[in-house]
Amino acid sequence: MSPEQTSLEFRKNSVRALEDSALRAAMKQAADTFGTKRAEAFAPVADLDALRDRASAIREDVLANLPMYVDRFVASAVRAGAVVHRANDAAAAREIIRKILADRGARRIVKGKSMVSEEVDLNSHLEGAGMEVVETDLGEYIIQMEGETPSHIIVPAIHKNRRQVGRLFADRLGVPYSDDPQVLTKIARKALREKFLSADAGISGANFAATDTGSLVLLTNEGNGRMVTTVPPLHVAILSIEKMLPKLTDLPAFLRLLPRSATGQTITSYVSVITGPRKAGEATGAKELHIVLLDNGRTEILAGESRDILKCIRCGACMNVCPVYRTVGGHAYGWTYPGPMGMILTTLLTGMEKAHPLLDASTLCGACVEVCPVRVPLVELILGLRRRKVREGFADPRERRGMEAFGKASSSPALFALGQRLAGAFWPVVRALGGKDVAGRLPTPAKTPLRRRRP
Amino acid sequence: MSGAERERLFLENAAKTAAGTHAVSDTEGLLAVLGRIVATDSPVYCPGVTELEKAAAPLFPVRAADYAAAAVTVEEVFGAVAETGTIVCVSAGGRAVQAGLLPAHHVAIVRRDRIFGTLDDLFAAIADPPPTNVTLVTGPSRTADIELTLAIGVHGPEKLDVIVA
Repeated sequence: MSPEQTSLEFRKNSVRALEDSALRAAMKQAADTFGTKRAEAFAPVADLDALRDRASAIREDVLANLPMYVDRFVASAVRAGAVVHRANDAAAAREIIRKILADRGARRIVKGKSMVSEEVDLNSHLEGAGMEVVETDLGEYIIQMEGETPSHIIVPAIHKNRRQVGRLFADRLGVPYSDDPQVLTKIARKALREKFLSADAGISGANFAATDTGSLVLLTNEGNGRMVTTVPPLHVAILSIEKMLPKLTDLPAFLRLLPRSATGQTITSYVSVITGPRKAGEATGAKELHIVLLDNGRTEILAGESRDILKCIRCGACMNVCPVYRTVGGHAYGWTYPGPMGMILTTLLTGMEKAHPLLDASTLCGACVEVCPVRVPLVELILGLRRRKVREGFADPRERRGMEAFGKASSSPALFALGQRLAGAFWPVVRALGGKDVAGRLPTPAKTPLRRRRP
Repeated sequence: MSGAERERLFLENAAKTAAGTHAVSDTEGLLAVLGRIVATDSPVYCPGVTELEKAAAPLFPVRAADYAAAAVTVEEVFGAVAETGTIVCVSAGGRAVQAGLLPAHHVAIVRRDRIFGTLDDLFAAIADPPPTNVTLVTGPSRTADIELTLAIGVHGPEKLDVIVA
């Protein structure tokens, strides 16, 4: 993950994405495929609304009592034999993990997919300390090799086509070129198997943490998550504090919702429930388990008006249906989390001053709200942040004046008619002033306005 | 849900995930299925601990002492879930859950009285307290990371067979 956040360049990034026809085709394919599969997967679920209500209520309870649940999780995990670390910010998390690894002489690290580790920019810190960090999720492996960042939280390399991956593997791994995904997958399997077996440590994220048992829950399809957490002698898990579930028996509701929402699967190929390290007489699990709980601004979010974003379980469904995300892709958002949930989280985690253009990346159509399995009120949250953006003076003054003028004109039929005539006449000027990335993309006003046309 | 219904639903859902599904009624039937689906000239890891594993083990002349070096793992697993067609592997009793991960072919034997109806039934049975590792396995290892094209057998087994015995 590159540490450079480019969210302020959202418009420029978007224009670049719009000009990339391969990217647009890939994004559209991903969104359509996941959208269709999601609908198919939920079709046989009886009383989906009740299931979403229940999951939503569990997540609300977690947020309402988060400090208590985090303490309970820590106590349970410690009882199960894990070592738990609290990291207040990204720098603390990076340093805690570097120290755990360095103290044990770990040099070769295998890593499972973790958006939280991207959020804290963990890899470059560990590499800077002389460690080899290998991403083992196939998509992450591809983009790490290319020096890129994920463009989708579920399929990180969705922006690359099979020929690009084939050339990359031929180039870096010295294998014969192939553009067959099955062959490319086997090449990665072979290359990464050696890494798993020789690794000193594994780093993973977690989808959920059960506070009554101290268990970590990981949902994966490839099996790399299982490798990372059971093969090396040391396992370090990094997760943000809001991933708590009160009880392990709350998990089934989320197992029914998350994979269906993310990839349209009934359940992922693998669900790992890890409770502490390997105990005496056992043959499974790391000998040492360290859990790093990241706050990084979440306690502050919890106290504010946008707290409901912390209900999010990172399924990516809101992205796949978002007309903006489907068009510009994940990189345009310029930080770890894209799409509707990403624009909210990015603004909150990195600050309005570093992210405010992202708040334009919504038509407020509400498709995201319709698919969210845990009922995060995404549109309300976006509107709330837009109000804050205006309050804090980050809104474009031209936009503000334009809106004020439109408000006046549209409240009087005579002014409105005049405005329509003027708009047509002055449109070339408006385009020139607004810049080609903004007004240049708007349609030209009709010569005769609709309301003056006879049916 | 009756036992017979759970078994039917489990087999039906497991088949949807591209797992091979088999049901046998006695040891003879078990050995016949194993003889058919396991390449007996390749190194097989079979823990040989449970009654069913003890019955199966002599079938494999090339036994791998270490699952990391095996081509196939044949083992009895903790249980299954009908709702999702899932098999459940646990670390309890000194089991190496990763034995069902490293080899390219995983053959899981599940006793028909160990099929849970729903995920809720399973978690109610294991949650207090759970063993170090509980792994739910549904179908073979898979990815769609390259152009969303399904590829089977990424890091885990490319072939999964479940046998209800």
